[in-house]
Amino acid sequence: MSYYLVQTLNALSFSVLLMLTGLGLSLVLSLMNFVNLTHGSFFLLGGYVAIHWIGAGAPWWMAFPAAFVIAGAVGLVLDRFPFGRFYPRTHLMQVLLTYGLSVIFADLMRWGFGADTVSLPTPELLRGVVFVAGLPFPIYRLFIIATGGVLALGLWYAIDRTLWGAAIRACVIDRGIVETLGLNTRRIFTVGVVLAAGLGGLGGALGSGMLSAYPGLDEEVLLLALLVVVVGGLGSFGGTVLSALLLGFVTTFSRVWLPEFANFLSLGIMAAVLVMWPSGLVVRKMRQV
Amino acid sequence: MSAHLNTTTHQAPAPAKYRLGDKIAAGLVLLLALIPLVSGDGFSLRFGAEILLIGTAVMSLNLLIGGGGLVSLGHAAVFGAAGYSAAVAAGSWGAQLPVMLVIGIFAGMLIASIIGLVTLRSAGLFFLVLTLVVGQMVWELAFRWRDVTGGADGLRGFPKLALGSLRLDTPLALYLVAAAIALVGWAVTRSFQRAPIGQALAGVRDQPIRMGALGYQVGRIRVTAFLLAGAVAGAAGAIYPFVNQYIGPNSVHWSMSAALIIMAVIGGVGSLYGGYLGALVYLFVQTEVSSYTDRWQLVIGLIFVATVILMPNGIAHWLGQRGVRGGRS
Amino acid sequence: MTSTSITRRHLLAATAASALGLGLMRPVRAAGGTTPIKIALVTSLSGPFAALGESMRAGLELLIAESGRQMGGRPVTLLVEDDQGKPDEAVRKVRKLLSQDKVDVLCGVISAAVALAIRDIVADAKALTFISIAAANGLAREAASPYIFRPTKTSWMLGHTGALWTYDKIAKEGGITLGSDYAAGREYVGDFINTYRQQGGKVGQQLWTPLGTADFAPIVMNLAAAAPSFVYAFFPGADAVRFLQQMRDFKLQDKIRVIGPGALFDQEDVLPAAGDAGLGGVNTYHQSPGAPASAAFAAAYLKARNRIPGEASTSAYATGQVIRAGIEAVAGDIAQKDKLKERLLSAPVSTALGPMRFDARNNQAILDIYVNEVRRGADGKPFNTVVHTYPAIQDPGPKA
Repeated sequence: MSYYLVQTLNALSFSVLLMLTGLGLSLVLSLMNFVNLTHGSFFLLGGYVAIHWIGAGAPWWMAFPAAFVIAGAVGLVLDRFPFGRFYPRTHLMQVLLTYGLSVIFADLMRWGFGADTVSLPTPELLRGVVFVAGLPFPIYRLFIIATGGVLALGLWYAIDRTLWGAAIRACVIDRGIVETLGLNTRRIFTVGVVLAAGLGGLGGALGSGMLSAYPGLDEEVLLLALLVVVVGGLGSFGGTVLSALLLGFVTTFSRVWLPEFANFLSLGIMAAVLVMWPSGLVVRKMRQV
Repeated sequence: MSAHLNTTTHQAPAPAKYRLGDKIAAGLVLLLALIPLVSGDGFSLRFGAEILLIGTAVMSLNLLIGGGGLVSLGHAAVFGAAGYSAAVAAGSWGAQLPVMLVIGIFAGMLIASIIGLVTLRSAGLFFLVLTLVVGQMVWELAFRWRDVTGGADGLRGFPKLALGSLRLDTPLALYLVAAAIALVGWAVTRSFQRAPIGQALAGVRDQPIRMGALGYQVGRIRVTAFLLAGAVAGAAGAIYPFVNQYIGPNSVHWSMSAALIIMAVIGGVGSLYGGYLGALVYLFVQTEVSSYTDRWQLVIGLIFVATVILMPNGIAHWLGQRGVRGGRS
Repeated sequence: MTSTSITRRHLLAATAASALGLGLMRPVRAAGGTTPIKIALVTSLSGPFAALGESMRAGLELLIAESGRQMGGRPVTLLVEDDQGKPDEAVRKVRKLLSQDKVDVLCGVISAAVALAIRDIVADAKALTFISIAAANGLAREAASPYIFRPTKTSWMLGHTGALWTYDKIAKEGGITLGSDYAAGREYVGDFINTYRQQGGKVGQQLWTPLGTADFAPIVMNLAAAAPSFVYAFFPGADAVRFLQQMRDFKLQDKIRVIGPGALFDQEDVLPAAGDAGLGGVNTYHQSPGAPASAAFAAAYLKARNRIPGEASTSAYATGQVIRAGIEAVAGDIAQKDKLKERLLSAPVSTALGPMRFDARNNQAILDIYVNEVRRGADGKPFNTVVHTYPAIQDPGPKA
């Protein structure tokens, strides 16, 4: 029994990691209708920032805000050029632009941080284990679960319950009307992109403790995040959370029982979901034509 | 703009520009296709054959993207599966050109129809991700079914391409075979695009709901387009292993699909010649630039981003616009 | 963490080294004036093996610099091509090197898939080729070729010795194998199991996980539940780092002995990132930074790159030593391929991997295999320490 309890916690921590990687992407995609494939780069950048931050001897808990700020700053620059021009463009053009940018970032990071695998020097405080019914479970994973939960709640609150969030949501539905109300929609979008980039960086900082950081991680993470967000549906955070849990649990338990076919099973189930619900798990009602 | 998630370029280029661009591109393609024949060394000919075959796959993808708005991230699975089938069949029955082509075309159509049927109800970003997932399942199969596909190592040591007793394993012969496939593939794709069904496909791309209301069977049109694209990509894929006597799982990986999309965009979405131009630019830059600098990925990325920002409709259409302006002045 | 900042001392050292290099080079150029020998290094400078590729290039460049940029009286030019770890790309690059650049010697190659893909091309062209890392057994067996040399191990050599050591010193039953599910993993683990069974051992569960596994926790828990007497495991690069760290996170590092082929604990590729999570691991490898044969190289490499060498850099350096020995035997006349080949087959070459003999059946190196245990080194960091040496291990080779 305790064995399954720990495996469930494993699945949960992996799900939260997936959700963390997906949150920023989900924000720009579901609210601003912008496909940002550089999200994986923000994630990897955040990982590198955290690793070098702690490696340099700075206080470890500051590493996460630092990753958020630096990745957010890159997001700000990108929002000025060239993202700004592409918000009104088609998804295909957004995909192409941001994919090209992610190739550039991948090479720049390789240049700057080297090609070696590096990992987060986890602080002593988080390195221990707690015993769950006799089996060890790392504290760091609990830390990820907790942080992810808090972030998701905070984001939900900000988007769903504050004026700022209402403004962002309004921008998506009808930008013109929002402009006539005297709001600067350009600035609202900027805030959205910076926030999303920062969340990507923060996700990377947290994730690097589990996944390490190396060239190529950006792409792997991007695929997972894209899968999570799209399968969840482009409507709400609820969908993203739901599909992160689905993918996390499917992947984890297929590794428990059939490790050999883990990838195949998770791909197959995600494909089946998309075949049955072609617009994702949670669909926002929209006018067509 | 944002209510429905259509992924195509809505602003269709003006017909005059479009046709002129296509003509210039066609001339360019023909001219470039002659270069390896003149230079004649083994590497250029084989490289040329690869560009023609991959270019044919890009062209067939372009039918889906440009014609139908179906940005598939699973097209390499179609191309590569045909290659695997041909290489495996060659191992047991010998590599006769017509047999290889038939097998490749069938394998291509099979995988393409699976992708087409599975994605029948998807559009936009959902379509993109679903094709990615299905394509990756094909990759898993190629990577894991070691007894047949050779797993991670891929397949080598299969017989060389032949026609009757005539051996087709010299660089020149391979180049000519590739050129013939490119030519026939182009003709078939063009006639499809100009036929009523091709027009209907464009209608499905732009106004799927209205087309349905008009009584068109949207799903059937889409699957037919997939079948044709699969057949053309399959024919090219069937010959691909014989250029280097090797086929491996990379040829079905999603990153190859992404490369095919990039080539299509560089060349020009909707332009059939553009596919060849895109394949040429991409493969040439990748092969040559990496000999000079470690930062070649940076160079490719910059070229690509510049293309997207400055020539969003690709080389072919850009050439057309230059041509029109030049004509007016 | 590992990004080396350039200090003044490094700059001074570099200047001194290049001055020394120039000094050695000049008389040769003046005396020789002959056309240079072109050596091509095919390696991965992007893709999953990029870190290995950079080490490889550094290792070979170090050797060429130490040789005064000349071999057998002729100057040497090094061409480096990136194969991205993709066979399709490698094939294109090798054809270009042979057809347009007209190189004399090819070497390098990290991925086994790449080595197999280019095998027919170099064999048809009768190009002298030296495979530095790719371990695929097939290249020493049915796919061996007269002009392809393998100055490196085969998967069998490591899996086999790993089984001998495990059976003798660790446990005779109750172990689990755990491998990355692709060609290399299947070979290492398969050869381990065969030899272990031949010895009389009994292997328990065999687990496989897909290449590129992000989270090992579910499998690590399975290991905890099974409580095996040892785990024989193989993962490359980042997977290895994650596996070792997650074993440590779940407090299994001290409870379950992890054994594997050397790549699992590679000194340069894995240990710096895995840190203390690597401690206690045992591996069989043809390379050890602590072995006497590689002492001189390890010191020079540490000076040049500020890191302890692992397999990639050592193998590339040793490959260079083999090539140099061959070229010197024909006094720079590289066209005498058979005479060069005869030299390599007749007597051992002294390399950073130890004295290297080649098997005349398949041009496969016969190597000493070290058993390394990861212990704290002089600086307190994990270090592959030699605890035993299996001398002159020879691959079974092609079936007679």
